[in-house]
Formats: sequence, C-alpha cells, structure tokens
Amino acid sequence: MNTHHDPAIITAVLMAAEGAINRGLELDPASARDLADLSGTVLAIECWAPALEVFAIVEPEGRLHLTPYCEQACSVRVRGGLNDYLALTTAEDPAVTLINSDLEIIGNSAPLIALQTLVAKMQPDWEAPLVGVLGDVAGHQLANLLRQIFQWGEASSKSFRRQLSEFILEEGRLSPPAAELEYFYQEIDSLVLKVDRLESRLKRLAQRLKTPAR
Amino acid sequence: MTDKTNAASGETTDFGFETVNKNEKEGLVRGVFDSVANRYDLMNDLMSAGIHRLWKRFTIELSAVRPGQTVLDIAGGTGDLAAKFSRLVGDNGQVLLADINDSMLKVGRDRLLDSGAVGNLHMVQCDAQMLPFPDASIDCITIAFGLRNVTDKDMALRSMERILKPGGRLLVLEFSKPVNPIFEKIYDTYSFRVLPLMGQLFNNDADSYRYLAESIRKHPDQDTLLGMMEDAGLVNCEYHNMTGGIVAVHRGIKA
Ligand SMILES: C[S@@+](CC[C@H](N)C(=O)[O-])C[C@H]1O[C@@H](n2cnc3c(N)ncnc32)[C@H](O)[C@@H]1O
Repeated sequence: MNTHHDPAIITAVLMAAEGAINRGLELDPASARDLADLSGTVLAIECWAPALEVFAIVEPEGRLHLTPYCEQACSVRVRGGLNDYLALTTAEDPAVTLINSDLEIIGNSAPLIALQTLVAKMQPDWEAPLVGVLGDVAGHQLANLLRQIFQWGEASSKSFRRQLSEFILEEGRLSPPAAELEYFYQEIDSLVLKVDRLESRLKRLAQRLKTPAR
Repeated sequence: MTDKTNAASGETTDFGFETVNKNEKEGLVRGVFDSVANRYDLMNDLMSAGIHRLWKRFTIELSAVRPGQTVLDIAGGTGDLAAKFSRLVGDNGQVLLADINDSMLKVGRDRLLDSGAVGNLHMVQCDAQMLPFPDASIDCITIAFGLRNVTDKDMALRSMERILKPGGRLLVLEFSKPVNPIFEKIYDTYSFRVLPLMGQLFNNDADSYRYLAESIRKHPDQDTLLGMMEDAGLVNCEYHNMTGGIVAVHRGIKA
C-alpha cells in the first residue's frame, strides 16, 4: 500500500482530481455515457519510485472514483517507474508508446486507452479544485501535470519532463504535507488571535458591568 | 441494582480529566452529546477545518464494503458514514446506524431523509458495550470518533468482535497520538484553549468541548489500541496514521 504518504493528503489530491473529472462529466453527458459503458473497470496505476499506487474505478452512473486503496480485481494494471510515466506523457502517439514503453501493462489495455481519450476530450478544470487543496503553487503545478498527462502528444514541451520530475520528487513529496500543515497552523494562529481578542473584550465588558454606574 | 453495586464499589473511570464514577460517565457523556447534537456537524467542520471528511473517506476506502453487505456504524452520530455506506451496499445490503444518544440519531435521521438515503438504513439506539445484534451477523463495523467516549473500551471491542462474521472487519477512526512533538504541542493549545472557546461561541457550552478535548488526550495511543483490538480477538490488526498521527484508523479482522 501507499505506506510512505499520508493517506489524508493522497485522499485530498485524489478527491480534487476526481471532483474535476466528475464535474467535467456533468457538463458533458455524452462523455458520461461513454464512461458508463466502461462501468466496472478498475484501473490500477502503480509507480515504484516514488512508491505510489492509485486506482481509478468507473462507477455505473458514469462517474470516476479515484482511491489509494482498492480490493477489487483490477481490469488492467500499469506498472513502472516515474521515468516510464514521463515518457508516456510526452509521447506523440500514446497508444504506440504505451505498447512499446517499459511500462508493464497487466490485463487489457483497451479500457486504459479509452479512459485516457475520454478524459482528454473533456478537458476538465483541474486548476480550481487542486489549488483549493494544495494551495497556489503546488496546485497549479499538479494541474499542469494532469493536463499534460491527459493530453499527451498534443503538448510535449521540452522542459515538461524536467518540470514533472521536479514536481513529483520535490513538491509532490514535500509540499502537500507542508501546505496542509501550514494551513492548519494558520487556522490555529488566527483562531488563537481571535480568541485572545475575544477574551479581552469579554473581560473589558465584565469589568464595565462590574463597575457601579455613577 | 448493578448501578448501586458499582457505585458502592466505587469503580471509577475518566471523564475527560476528571475522574468520575462509571455510571455517572454514561450520563455525563449523554449530556455532552445532547447539548451539542444540533450544532455537531458545524462544530465538527470548524474543529478540523473539513479535514475530517478526508479521514472518513479513507476509512470508507479501507472498509472495502461491497453491495449486499451489512454494515454497522457505531456511535454514528449524525450519519456521515452511514449515508456513504447506504450507497455502497445498495438495495440488497443493509446499514445500521447505532448511537447511544437519541437526539444524535434524530438529527441523523433528518439528515439522511434529506439526502434520500433511507431505504436500506436502520437506526438503533444502543450502547457500544452491549450491542444488541446476533453473533456473526455483520460484515463490517465502523466507529468514528466514538470509541473515546465509551466507558469500557475493551468490553465494547469484544462486543464488536462477537457480532462480526468471520472475515468481517472492524474499523476504528479516532484521534490518536501525533507523531511529531511540535505538532502535539500546537494541537494541545488548539484543543484545550480554542475548542472550548469555540464551543462557547457556537453553543454556549464550553464544558462539552473541553470534555471532547480532554477525552482526545485520554484516548489510547496507536499501539495501545492495536493491542486492545488483538486482546478482543481480532487478527491482522494494523493502523494508518493520518495528518501527522492526529488521527489514526485501525483495522482488525474477525478470525
Ligand atoms: C464525536 S461523535 C461521532 C459521530 C460520528 N461518528 C462522526 O464521526 O461524525 C461521538 C458519538 O458517540 C456516541 N456515543 C458515546 N458513547 C457511546 C456508547 N457507549 N455507545 C454508543 N454510542 C456512544 C455519542 O452519542 C456521539 O454521537
């Protein structure tokens, strides 16, 4: 399992990505129907460095469920190192690259290609939900990353690979927990402040009440 | 009768940091939740800035509940988890929402009615220590932020083990011991100073929230709870820390 990462953070990121996709699907009933045809498909994406495993499950209503944990039998499992995935995201023809790459595909690759094509066509708004979860910088980077992954071939900028590996190795590991902690600290800070102010206001009030009217 | 015997024997337990008589605790706990039931969800959201939704979602993933199964959510309060399970088990499955507190269940029922998920859902007012269900009748039990309120946690865990089907699983989502000491310090400030004041602001009930904060501190840490689950007869017990160990989800399987 994803033992090296905080499940709450992975869940947050997956929830945001899932939200973006499903909102896109709501606005695009045709794609939702296409997706519903793949209902029951369980796609496992496994990366060994950094170690991460994510499952995409197609639900009957034509929605996608992303989760770090799944006990259902997988229809197809993709397995590889970060570099193999990077190669895929910058490929001209993803289907060919997928077959020829070092990525190991266990099971039927048809639903995998179908899923990717579908999401690429939808162009979901990754930005807003991810920025909501991860903050501006990391959220924007991951949104960029997802855009590229789902439009592989179309936009294969030279620096993309470098950007991507930087994100996953640096930001991806450090920044989400940091962002979450920072958020938590900020919340506490501002609460403590408010509480302090409130306390002194209450005290002043109490004092005023106690002081006999002249 | 037993009431008197216990009172006479002076058996005590922790109510937050005050040590009280065991029987009194049940009354006190009920009082706390009676007074916060209506505002509970709002408070819950504010207290953990919505992060509790992530904790709950991961707990549901770990349950791996399937259509047709029977799920029991103990100390289910206002029905957060039950609503999700109701969708997962489908028409052929069953979700039991159990809580010791009637007003919590009422709020839960109203909310679940609003969300449209009631066909396969049943409310049961009962005590986690004495679950009124047949042996080996449940596929999955969850208890989220509830075990810390239970007087005799070992008794409750044994009661859960009894009603699980072989291979069935128990998931305990609960505040735990932060793994980072700095974090622990900040968290203490938050829970002892901020929580009660927020309670006062929103509910006029600082005592209830101070009690919540104290009961978090009194709750067994990760490994202690793991040992308690094993003692209750569960196997393959494991836990996952979340958000720096502020919260952990424990899972055990009925042999
Ligand atoms: C903090 S709330 C948790 C509600 C819900 N599970 C959630 O995560 O939002 C704790 C609940 O435990 C219930 N409770 C306390 N002691 C109990 C007991 N001995 N048996 C069953 N429920 C109990 C309270 O009534 C309350 O609804």
